[in-house]
Amino acid sequence: MNMAVAPTGTAASKPAAQEVLLDVKNVSLSFGGVQAIKDVSFNINKGEIRAIIGPNGAGKTSMLNVINGFYHPQVGEITFKGETRSAMRPYVAASQGIARTFQNVALFRGMSTLDNIMSGRTLKMHKNFFWQMLRFGPALDEEIEHRHKVEEIIDFLEIQHIRRTPVGRLPYGLQKRVELARALAMEPELLLLDEPMAGMNLEEKEDMSRFILDVNDQFGTTIALIEHDMGVVMDLSTRVVVLDHGEKIADGTPEEVSANQDVIDAYLGVAH
Amino acid sequence: MFYREVGQFKTSYKADQSIFPILQDRIGIAVILFVAFAIIPAFGSDFFLSSIMIPFLIFALATIGLNILTGYTGQLSLGTGAFMGVGAYACYKLTTFFPDVNIIIMVLLSGFFSAAVGMIFGLPSLRIKGFYLAVTTLAAQFFLEWCFIRISWLYNYNNSGAIEVPRREGFGDIVLAGAAATPATRYLVVLSIVVLMTWIASNIIRGRIGRSWMMIRDMDIAAELMGVRPLYAKLSAFAVSSFYCGVAGAMMVFFWLGAAEVESFDINHSFLYLFMAIIGGLGSLVGSFMGAAFIWILPIIIRALPETFGIDINAATVEHINFMLIGGMIIFFLIVEPHGLARLWQIAKEKLRTWPFPYT
Repeated sequence: MNMAVAPTGTAASKPAAQEVLLDVKNVSLSFGGVQAIKDVSFNINKGEIRAIIGPNGAGKTSMLNVINGFYHPQVGEITFKGETRSAMRPYVAASQGIARTFQNVALFRGMSTLDNIMSGRTLKMHKNFFWQMLRFGPALDEEIEHRHKVEEIIDFLEIQHIRRTPVGRLPYGLQKRVELARALAMEPELLLLDEPMAGMNLEEKEDMSRFILDVNDQFGTTIALIEHDMGVVMDLSTRVVVLDHGEKIADGTPEEVSANQDVIDAYLGVAH
Repeated sequence: MFYREVGQFKTSYKADQSIFPILQDRIGIAVILFVAFAIIPAFGSDFFLSSIMIPFLIFALATIGLNILTGYTGQLSLGTGAFMGVGAYACYKLTTFFPDVNIIIMVLLSGFFSAAVGMIFGLPSLRIKGFYLAVTTLAAQFFLEWCFIRISWLYNYNNSGAIEVPRREGFGDIVLAGAAATPATRYLVVLSIVVLMTWIASNIIRGRIGRSWMMIRDMDIAAELMGVRPLYAKLSAFAVSSFYCGVAGAMMVFFWLGAAEVESFDINHSFLYLFMAIIGGLGSLVGSFMGAAFIWILPIIIRALPETFGIDINAATVEHINFMLIGGMIIFFLIVEPHGLARLWQIAKEKLRTWPFPYT
């Protein structure tokens, strides 16, 4: 892709690694008579921040659901880390290194912030039932080892003060942040963020943008991002794919996309 | 003023993650255990031991079992009574086949039988949620009750259709089960098993497996995305829950009732355990004990009150008043705190931390 036009932000300073991490090819998805996604193809390069934008009902969230195995597309295939598949269960996607956050916060409300983030380590913990029962020796060591990692993430996202708070009691902006922390605890290779800044004020958006850039920069995590705030999208993303009514109408750098007439029409409407 | 963690610094995650991180809690639990293991068996009357403490502990264990399934994993179950029955009948058959093996081992082994049965009846949970799942667990309740009546092999073709606990000795020649077992012995056996299994339950719940249960309870979609396989999480919850219920059922027959028919495991009892879990607090081990105490011990205390104060009322009237009081208190507590007595206790502890200077 054309990286000559440098978008602002740290993502721009990265070397243009052209290794494709995820490749979506000719994916179509329909529910009964409703066609949610029509023959969409795009790819995500390793280390980039890829934005998926589009008006309401464009099929953005459906696309994420296809990528992490919630929906099984009728047509098309998805290649992740060189492995091609069409349908899979979400926990398989998780074990391959895909994590995500949700549009409506999907935290485990009955658990504390710490436990929520610890739950992101589930796949990395292997001690069997017997040791778990005794919580002694290997099981305890494992628990503490992962606690160290979780504390690093807590420090990284600056949520030390709410460690023990049940997440149900937290304000919305912090809940979003805990959800990001939970996804980061999985140490994913591909992080899917479904509207991470929805309903936030300017300051919270700035914080969240900073975290997203830091995650991308420090952990080298590839990020796919759905967002409605165009300012955020244009600043953060390396490349943007635009969906409208389930179809891909544009794909390219933020500058290319924002100059594209189809995109402008989709967002502003066309005179008939 | 006294219940405060001021000055208690944790310098390792290990210390931070212990069951009772606060010193006052550790002292409290030590006192409770000392009273339970030393004072009560030494000074408690036979009535107190065998009619109050033993059933209370057994009910608490059954409630912990149900809590693991309903409170921690979010799978509503109405089959608790039947799963307890499986444990009781399995223990009875086991001790018939192997009369020389220590009855405590048999009680614990019988849990595996009810765990297996629980897993089978847990299979619908992979497809069905909430109230509908409760209805499928009713199937377990009715089917197993039918088995307990119709399959006479289960009660050794006894004419009465009941299982009668034979005399069993262990640890030298201490009588552990049967009519000759002293209440103190039975109480200590029950208490040891309950304390051990409560400790194990708290370990499981705080670890990876317990977290995966709670993930399924709170948001099953997100749980699956974090790598929890619903099949494993739900069936392991059914297995562990039924194991606890099975052990509780076996203890109920062997260390409390001495003889049992199918009525001891009927749907009313299933409801009773569900009420204990709800009133005590879903998703709380302390709550299981509180719920069991509320439903079992409180009525006994109320019944004994008029006599203690020398008030002469007809026993039937006392019973009516009892029902009204308990019913009223259930409503009161659930309005004050829908999350049960355990949450009230937790709130009280939080208040105590700052009392009497709420702004410090």
